[in-house]
Amino acid sequence: MSEQDYKYIENPLHITRREFITITGIITAFLALPSIWIRSVATANNDYIKARTKNLYQDDVQSKIRVSHANKSVARYYKEFGGKPLSRLSEELLHTKYINRTKALS
Amino acid sequence: MNVIAKTYQKGEIPGVIAINASVCKGCDACKRHCPTGAITGMFGATHSIDVDLCLSCGQCLVNCPFGAPYETSDAVDTVISKLNDANVTVVGIIAPAVRVAIGEEFGMPAGSLVTGKLYGAMKKAGIEIFDNNFTADLTIMEEGSEFISRARHAVFGEKGENGEPIGPLPQFTSCCPAWVRFVETQYPSLIPHLSSAKSPQQMAGAVAKTYGAKVWGKPAEQIYTIGIMPCTAKKFEASRPEFKSAFEYQTHINKAKSETYADVDVVLTTRDLARLFKKMKIDLAKEQDYTPEILFAEYSGAGTIFGNTGGVMEAAVRTAYAVITGNELTDVEFKPVRGLKGVKSASVTLKDSKYDKEVTINLAVVHGIARNLKPVIDQVLAGTSPYHFIEVMNCPAGCINGGGQPIQKNGSSWIEAIRPWFAWK
Repeated sequence: MSEQDYKYIENPLHITRREFITITGIITAFLALPSIWIRSVATANNDYIKARTKNLYQDDVQSKIRVSHANKSVARYYKEFGGKPLSRLSEELLHTKYINRTKALS
Repeated sequence: MNVIAKTYQKGEIPGVIAINASVCKGCDACKRHCPTGAITGMFGATHSIDVDLCLSCGQCLVNCPFGAPYETSDAVDTVISKLNDANVTVVGIIAPAVRVAIGEEFGMPAGSLVTGKLYGAMKKAGIEIFDNNFTADLTIMEEGSEFISRARHAVFGEKGENGEPIGPLPQFTSCCPAWVRFVETQYPSLIPHLSSAKSPQQMAGAVAKTYGAKVWGKPAEQIYTIGIMPCTAKKFEASRPEFKSAFEYQTHINKAKSETYADVDVVLTTRDLARLFKKMKIDLAKEQDYTPEILFAEYSGAGTIFGNTGGVMEAAVRTAYAVITGNELTDVEFKPVRGLKGVKSASVTLKDSKYDKEVTINLAVVHGIARNLKPVIDQVLAGTSPYHFIEVMNCPAGCINGGGQPIQKNGSSWIEAIRPWFAWK
C-alpha cells in the first residue's frame, strides 16, 4: 500500500451542516408521503356508503308525502282489498311465523 | 360438496354464498365481516363457508379483496326467458336501496339517485313496476300497528280485538332476512320478540298475486314476481316454503286450481339486474326518466328511507306518532336514529290520545350484526333491556351497503386486505 491511500479527506461531499439537515428533511418528507396517501384512502373508504345514504335521504326530502299513513295507494289497498292493518286478511297475507332452526329440520 | 344442511327447510336454497377455492388467498378479510363466524379455514389456507351458520348476507362477497365468494343461485337467464314469454306478466319489486346504487354499474358516480331512469329501463325491458317502497309503507302500517298493540298491551293491559295473543316487548323489526335467520339459528328464544310482519319483499309478492292480479286483470299464476334487492339473503328468504300465501288465498278463497307458486318467484340482486340490462343492451345511464301511473309505484319518503340504517325506525316513529297522539308531526325528520354509530338510541315521550296518558318509548337501532349487536341482545336475554322497539339490520349502514350491491374497489375491502399484513392488526 502506498502512502497516498492513507490521505485523510474531511467532508468529501462538501455538505454543510445546514445542507445535511435540509436533505434529510426532504428524504423524511418523501418517506412520510405514502402514509398520508394511505390515510386518505383509509378515510375515504366509506365515502360511497355516505353518498348512497345521503341520496336516499334526498329521495325522502323530494317526496310529496313523507309519512306512510298518507300514502293514498296504501289507503286504497286497505279500502278495496285488505280491510285494515292486523285484519284477518292482513294476518293471512302480510304476517308470518318463524321457525326454531336450532332443531334439525331436514 | 355433499353437505347435509341441518338449518334449512325442504325447498330452501341451502346457502346463497360459496367461496371459489381457486381464487381464495386465505387472507382472512372476510372473517372480519362475517356476522356468525361461518367462514372456516386457517390464515393462508383456502376458506370455506359453513352453510348451517351462514346467513347468506353477502358481506364477505362485497368485501373480499380478491372476489372469491360467489352466489350459487343466478336467475338472470330465467328472467330473460320469462320476459320473452307473452303469457307471463313479469313484475319487478324494486327495493329502496337499489335506486342509489345501480347507477354505479353504468359508470355513474357513487350514490347517484336514478329512480326515474331505473323505471325507464325496466319499462324498456318489459318489466311491470311494483315499487317495494309501496309495501314498505304497508309494512309500517302493519308493523307499526303491531307495535302500538304490543305497547298498549304492556302499559295499559289492552287485549287483542279478537282475543289473539299479543307478543312481548321489546319488539324487533323483521325486514332483514339475515337478521331473521340469525334469530332462528342462534337465539330461538327471541322469536316471540320478532315482529310477525313479513318483510316488504314478501308483502309485495303476496299483494301482487292477489290484489295486483285484480289491478292488472291477470290470473295470479301468470304473474311472475321478481324481487330486485340489494341483498343476497333475500334469495334465501324468497325460497322459504311458507311464503306461498297468495297461492293459498287463491285456492281457498277464489277456488282457483293451479300448481303451487311462491309469492316471490325469483330474486335478482342489484348486480344481477345490471347484468340483465347489459344482456338486453339497455344502458341505464342514457335512459329517459319515466313515471309509472300504477298505484304500486306511489310511495312516501318514509318508505324510501328503509334502505338506510334507522330508516325503518324513523318511518315507524312518523306514523306511530300520528296514530298514538292523533296529531301530525310538524318536522318529520327524526335525527337521533340517523348516522353510522353502531348502536343508536332515542326516547320519545308522547301523549296517548286513547288513554289520555303520557308514555315514553325507548328506541334502539343496530346495524352490523358482526360488531354491534351483542350488548343489545344480551340485555334483552337478561330481561334488563331499556328498549321497547329495536331495529336490527345485518349489514353495516343498512341495505345500501347490502351484499347484493355493486362492489366498490375503494370500499372496506381495501383496508381489510391490508390489516392481516400486520401481526398486531
